[in-house]
Amino acid sequence: MSFFEKGKLSGDDVHLTPLINDLDTGIWKYNFNTREVKWSTGFYTLLGYQVNEIECDAYTFFEHLLYHGDKPFFFNAINNRIAEDTPPLQLRFLTKKNGYQWFETTIRKLDDEHGSIVYGSLVNINRYKQDDLLSAHSQITNDGAFKTARLGIWEIDPQNINTIVLSKQVYDLFDLQNHLKLSVEEFISFFEPPYRPVLQNAINHTVEDSRPFDIELLLRSAKNNMLWLKVKAVPVIDHLGKCTSVKGVIQDIDSEKRKLLKLEQSINLLTDQNRRLQNFAYIVSHNLRSHTGNLQFMVNLFEQTETTEEREEIFSHIKTISDSLDLTIEHINEIVKIQTEITKERKMVELEPMFKNICSALKNNIETINAHVEGDFTQCREISYIPAYMESILQNLLTNSLKYSHPDRQPVIKCYTLTEGKHIYLIFEDNGLGIDLDRYGDKIFGMYKTFHQNTDAKGIGLFITRNQIEALGGSIKVDSTVNVGTKFTIRLV
Amino acid sequence: MIAERSPANTWIVDDDSIYVYGLKKLISIKELNTQLSHFVNGEEAICALKKANEDHNLPDVILLDINMPVMDGWEFMHEFAKIKPRTGKKIAVYMVSSSVDLNDIHRAKNISEVSDYLFKPVRINQLKEVFDNV
Repeated sequence: MSFFEKGKLSGDDVHLTPLINDLDTGIWKYNFNTREVKWSTGFYTLLGYQVNEIECDAYTFFEHLLYHGDKPFFFNAINNRIAEDTPPLQLRFLTKKNGYQWFETTIRKLDDEHGSIVYGSLVNINRYKQDDLLSAHSQITNDGAFKTARLGIWEIDPQNINTIVLSKQVYDLFDLQNHLKLSVEEFISFFEPPYRPVLQNAINHTVEDSRPFDIELLLRSAKNNMLWLKVKAVPVIDHLGKCTSVKGVIQDIDSEKRKLLKLEQSINLLTDQNRRLQNFAYIVSHNLRSHTGNLQFMVNLFEQTETTEEREEIFSHIKTISDSLDLTIEHINEIVKIQTEITKERKMVELEPMFKNICSALKNNIETINAHVEGDFTQCREISYIPAYMESILQNLLTNSLKYSHPDRQPVIKCYTLTEGKHIYLIFEDNGLGIDLDRYGDKIFGMYKTFHQNTDAKGIGLFITRNQIEALGGSIKVDSTVNVGTKFTIRLV
Repeated sequence: MIAERSPANTWIVDDDSIYVYGLKKLISIKELNTQLSHFVNGEEAICALKKANEDHNLPDVILLDINMPVMDGWEFMHEFAKIKPRTGKKIAVYMVSSSVDLNDIHRAKNISEVSDYLFKPVRINQLKEVFDNV
């Protein structure tokens, strides 16, 4: 039975009945005292029933139509006698054809002569509710996706341009337990010092020129974890095109970035080795060719000459070539040996005894020019190195200093160690001829490069020295002033 | 009768004494029409050039080695380019090396003062051509 059936409404309100029945809204009424229930036509229609198709009573209303899970909720609201206005409730009712659907009802209370009455209007909100639920569900799914992608969202708070709003994932990446708001400055301070200005500039550019950015930065998290992050951002602009906020994502790209860096390192190493190998091949080819060319030359001349004297002269040259060829091959062997010996084990090398041994081996050369040779290894007495390399390095540099001593003064040669941080340096200083570095520069470490008019200059010593040092990850540099002296600084480790 | 041409004045700038010996020997055996002077590095040759310019005794041909101590072939060319405007004579400079490094060849070809790049050992017909071009 519907309470807005014709005739039941009194007086002036009669004309309202069809209007109410036209609405896509149902109206219900419940009398606490009589337990009487009344529904509008719309109520039936809303649930998919014909008027009077179902029994209009408290039992049907509360036990059959209302979803049992929502009953406590509903009863709580209608029995609450204290609150004047109860906010609308979202409830599920059983429809005729579509199962339970979501509805929203207002709740109004009224006490009159018939008793304590509660009534309300009901609308179908199923579609919105479902969208809501779906989006809530996708929020959960997205959360999972964000977590898997190690992806978070960051945004400069438009209300307070100096603070940053971060999503949970960002706090996780930063190893921050409490989700406090960070200032832009604090946010930037989580990145390693060299990357701070990069990020600051990027943010400034975005704020000032609305320029988006996509940069890779190294983070030091609260737990001291080093992590490569990709930080992207776009400006949020108002209708005048002015940037009001900056919004973006932060993604953990650590493993990819590290692989890339490793790969880059390998490529650099390979390129370097390749370049050296090619250079070596050219040098070898050049030196062998110059000897074999001369040999061919002499043999041809030998055939074209007739006198014994001439032939003897040419033959003496052929002998010289044969010796030079042998020496060149020996040099090449030495260089190849550097690469094969590198796999040999490093041992603790005591520098002072080794240096003394080399000095006594070169005793004759030292005494001939009356050189003063000093060794001071107090800063670092021993080092883990390949002994054969160290011996060769010390010997080459000492020989070099002795060879290019200045004829006008007593040669003074100093060899000493220095430690600086985790590096160990070996310094070799002399007061010899010196070399014009503006003119020759790094060429002095090149193969078969000689610069002085010394007949015993072979141009192989420093080339080998540099290769040995670099093969063990060190470096060598030279400072020199013509007629003052030369200083080699070797970073051993 | 064709008039006898005056011999080409040729300078060899090279530190390889055996090669220079062979070259001289070859030229004398083949009776090539040239007069040889030898300098062991670029610096010596540059000094001699400055002097020869004053004495009007400049060479027609320079056979220039690349790898030499003190001043190599590249540096020589650098210095030579500075002197050249002051000389009134066409001097043909040939870079002569056993280097097959393409970078060297390319670099030599890019120096406008260099006539050509020859590989060591130089062949007799190449030498003839060099002297005939004078």
